[in-house]
Amino acid sequence: MTRIFLRLARLLAILGGIVLSALILLTVVSVTGRGLNTLGHFLVDAGVLAGIGQAMLDAGVGPVLGDFELVEAGVAFCIFAFLPLAQISGAHATVDILTSQFPPAVNRVLTMLWEALFAVVLIVIAWKLYEGMAGKMRYNETTMLLQFPVWWSYGLSLIAAVVAAVVSVYVACARIAEVLTGRIFLHSEGGAH
Amino acid sequence: MSNFDAGLLSFVILLVLIFLRMPIGLAMFTVGMGGLFYVNGGTVAGLARLKSETYSTFSSYSLSIVPMFLLMGQFATLGGMSQALFKAAESWLGHLRGGVAIAAIGACAGFGAICGSSLATAATMGQVALPEMKRYGYSGGFSSATLAAGGTLGILIPPSVILVIYAILAEQNIAKLFLAAFIPGILAAIGYMITISIYVRLNPDSAGTRPPVPMAERVRSLIDVLPVLIVFLVVVGGIYLGLFTPTEGAAVGAAGTGFIALVNGGLRGKAWLDSFYATAKSTAMIFFIVLGAAVYNGFLALTQVPQELAAWVAESGFNPWFVLVMILVLYLIFGCVMDSLSMILLTIPIFFPIVSALDYGLSAEEFAIWFGIIVLIVVEVGLITPPVGMNLFVINSMDRETPIVQTYKAVIYFVTSDLLRVALLVIFPSISLVLLRVLG
Repeated sequence: MTRIFLRLARLLAILGGIVLSALILLTVVSVTGRGLNTLGHFLVDAGVLAGIGQAMLDAGVGPVLGDFELVEAGVAFCIFAFLPLAQISGAHATVDILTSQFPPAVNRVLTMLWEALFAVVLIVIAWKLYEGMAGKMRYNETTMLLQFPVWWSYGLSLIAAVVAAVVSVYVACARIAEVLTGRIFLHSEGGAH
Repeated sequence: MSNFDAGLLSFVILLVLIFLRMPIGLAMFTVGMGGLFYVNGGTVAGLARLKSETYSTFSSYSLSIVPMFLLMGQFATLGGMSQALFKAAESWLGHLRGGVAIAAIGACAGFGAICGSSLATAATMGQVALPEMKRYGYSGGFSSATLAAGGTLGILIPPSVILVIYAILAEQNIAKLFLAAFIPGILAAIGYMITISIYVRLNPDSAGTRPPVPMAERVRSLIDVLPVLIVFLVVVGGIYLGLFTPTEGAAVGAAGTGFIALVNGGLRGKAWLDSFYATAKSTAMIFFIVLGAAVYNGFLALTQVPQELAAWVAESGFNPWFVLVMILVLYLIFGCVMDSLSMILLTIPIFFPIVSALDYGLSAEEFAIWFGIIVLIVVEVGLITPPVGMNLFVINSMDRETPIVQTYKAVIYFVTSDLLRVALLVIFPSISLVLLRVLG
């Protein structure tokens, strides 16, 4: 069971990583385009290599239209897509100076409580994100430059948020089972402090 | 109970939950939601915030710099840049007394210039430098302490993930903060190198000697670190000169290091995926804390606690320097147990209005930048303070033969160097501000 959910979480992390890499490349292309555009204008204005400068401008070099909007939409998906892996590998920051003195049984109960709460919170987040998306759909809100519907990016994020909620429910169930049976189902790496 | 009392009480509840090992972001989120429930008169009106707040927090353009810098750090490791840096530093400095340790600090500083995280710097450089130090007869405790301290340079020397977060909280210019962190970062590296020289003279058995490297080889080693230098100059220089925004700079840096890693054959199969996994975990952790802090601070702002505390401190007639020192001492204590980012997100909304209202003889912008740099350094000291400094554990887990107590004994020297530097930066704000004044 754990392996299926771990694979799912990793799959999303990879998707997020690919989207993040794409955003990085998009931004680099945009910065380069803007730089070349400035250079082209400079060459034309200065009258040095004006032909090349004009050719560059004619070829339409310039920043990518709406790169800003695409980065915002994409990075939201990335973060939601990164959440499932953080849930299943217990990567959230914690302070364990006090609890390390507690007996293991107490710690298992604490872990169970917090994972259960985490699951509830992630379900609420996904549910509210859905309502947010429904609102954007109702009002046909679009982005400023590219004019694509805002709900598209909400929708992408929602898919990842739902997976995060599902994975966190599994983690919570596994922790509850651990407290009840005393067997270990999940190995956590501890908080990335 | 008034809203103000509820705000104060919420802070106590939050600390109790955090010390019961509740994930920090979750604790801030839950207590913030509970608080909103209370101030909204027992209704769930606070929940409506989440319709857009989660999405807008995660889709912030300025925060997208964080996953990009984290991925860049991963690529830098895969591209073999840590080895190149250490080799270069070692061939120039290794023959000095304590030279391999000094080289490790130099390499950490170099890696810090392309990596925005302390733990990643400590872990990456530890893998490269620890075996080498052992080979030349450096004691385990001293080696671990050196790497743990060197790791903190990752966050001090720009780019720095925590400075990005601070810049957003205090509404300051990221480029200016990076510039201001530069001299304190270099001072930190020099301070650690001096510490090492003193340590090996007091404990002659703790370090062996290493034969000098021929000049030709030294020069060759420099060529291998050129990519690191170029990436750093393009990213930080470009951001500062206004050629691109910090987010664009992070993208250019990540693409550049990714390209180097690809050319060096580091981006293959499993290693590539692992770099995504590591980025995913750190990013998700950071953003959940940012989200929790947004919810909690939203509640706190409604209770007026930050404003009233600031007004109270301003009217009480306390000496501004006394207030500053008290806050720094608090950071030192909490820095030992809590991670730096959570601490900054939790406390800056409360402390920043307090100190901003006091007069330190600086303009508002200069003060904000100076305060940010000092707070950054103070919280990082906590990473290497025994018994719970996180960097110590990271390094110790790589070298099982060395009892952590030996690391504790050696790291005290580095902590002392840190505290001296903090004092210096507090007394002379111009150390942090001079670059800004000259270039700005």
